[in-house]
Amino acid sequence: MMRFLGLILFAAAVLTAPAQALVTDLSNKRIEIRYSFDGAELILFGAVGTTPIDIRREDYDVVIVVRGPESPAVVRRKGKAGVIWVNQDQMLFPHAPGYYAVAASRSLSEIANSIAFASYGIGFQNLPLVADSGKGLMMPDPEFRDALFRLRSSEGLYRQEQDQVTIINQGLFRTDVHLPANVPVGEFVVETFIFQHGSMRSRNRITLNVDKEGFERAAYNFAHGFPLLYGLTAVLVALTAGWLAGVLGKK
Amino acid sequence: MPLYLPIAELSMNIFLVIGMGAVVGFLSGMFGVGGGFLMTPLLIFAGVPPAVAVATESNEITAASVSGVLAHWRRQGVDVKMGIVLIVGGAIGSFFGAQVFTYLRSLGQVDLMISLAYVVFLGSVGGLMFWESMRAILRQRRGYVPPRKPREERHKAWIHALPFKMRFRKSRLYISALLPLAIGFLVGVLAAIMGVGGGFVMVPAMIYILGMPTNVVVGTSLFQIIFVTALTTIFHSVNTQTVDIFLAVLLLFGAVVGAQVGARMGLKLKAEQLRALLALMVLLVCVKMGLGLVVQPDELYSVADVEEIGGSH
Repeated sequence: MMRFLGLILFAAAVLTAPAQALVTDLSNKRIEIRYSFDGAELILFGAVGTTPIDIRREDYDVVIVVRGPESPAVVRRKGKAGVIWVNQDQMLFPHAPGYYAVAASRSLSEIANSIAFASYGIGFQNLPLVADSGKGLMMPDPEFRDALFRLRSSEGLYRQEQDQVTIINQGLFRTDVHLPANVPVGEFVVETFIFQHGSMRSRNRITLNVDKEGFERAAYNFAHGFPLLYGLTAVLVALTAGWLAGVLGKK
Repeated sequence: MPLYLPIAELSMNIFLVIGMGAVVGFLSGMFGVGGGFLMTPLLIFAGVPPAVAVATESNEITAASVSGVLAHWRRQGVDVKMGIVLIVGGAIGSFFGAQVFTYLRSLGQVDLMISLAYVVFLGSVGGLMFWESMRAILRQRRGYVPPRKPREERHKAWIHALPFKMRFRKSRLYISALLPLAIGFLVGVLAAIMGVGGGFVMVPAMIYILGMPTNVVVGTSLFQIIFVTALTTIFHSVNTQTVDIFLAVLLLFGAVVGAQVGARMGLKLKAEQLRALLALMVLLVCVKMGLGLVVQPDELYSVADVEEIGGSH
């Protein structure tokens, strides 16, 4: 209810504001990972306002791209060595997005041609991904690239042609953003593109932050910042817990 | 009820975790084993990254062994001197194992090594145990009692030829310190790469190679396991940051409760039957791990964050 009210207030503010082509906002711009974190569902809503060329007079399409922080990822391929299957070939992607989702109001092929999407880097196949062979950067082997997309899709980290942007009325649209429990932490960029007649008319970007909070953050920072102390603490906890269990178990 | 594990970086059902601890605790209480060789594969099957499973399980075994050793300590069932020699060997082995673990992790071969180690060790120990217990059961049916070996013949000749002899009063032994050092070393390596306490290798080795009296075997092996798994936990924390204390404590909680029930069940079964059952279980885990290596996987590719691997960037 509160969200809906917020949406109306937001729409009212945007639609009356002149010369504002495109405005978007998220139901929550700061996602906190706490002990009960099991993924997050966000609502992104946006409005197309008045511009010299009022795009509200005609139908338009919306494409929304959510991209998580980039980090190095390695893809490995198993091969048969004798009777067992072992990892043999590998390819390092130094800048693979940790999260990547594309939502659109129609299927992408109906909105514009692939060249248009390629020029804006929309869609996983259009991401400028490079691979590190150890001797410098190069174009990745398409099989490994596809594997990266497939594996991360199955983890819910890459989503394409899955999420719908709903156009509520002429100027207003919304979509759901699904973040899985294994979402990486860092800054996310949410880019919204308005397409009309196959060409891009307007775009904007907002950011979203995902971070571990409170106890979870402290534990993670402790383990990575002071690994020796963390190990000693783990041992101390185990000794105490084991002793307690032994004393209680005797009764 | 989902619970986010900050080090493993995944969300798991808290009841599933405690339940796994309880089931393994039940079995380990019944058979009198640590249960690491069951818990680590179970965690991996449940979706925990193998490296996190191995490192976290070391931490849980420390706790489980402390609670186990208390009872043996009260009964004077710990040979501290023998334990210390085994710990020295174990410390070196654990350090070495953790280095190998970290190196293979950077190569992407750590999962392979864990599976291979499980197949080899569980296969051989489980096979021997099964053979031995079946023989005992059959002999008992026929009413055959093997003649006791005299004390002097318990050791093979080459064992007496080794230098650096030490006297272990509680075990009533006068043998070379190199033997327990070597056994400790092997157990330390296994603890670091398999996420086990290593009791399933150490206990038979203490009985058949060292010739220790059975009343101090379990207590002394638990005593060694506490220290070696504690060191392993520290090595893994420093090298790969894969120890999840919260996961370990939850598993322990389930295991303590399960072990109490299991120990009572175990009293109702005969020792040979218990050993045969345990051997079957060991072989089952071995076969499951082995199939994973031999059968063509549905997905040939896998992806890992490089940050997780540690090192190269």
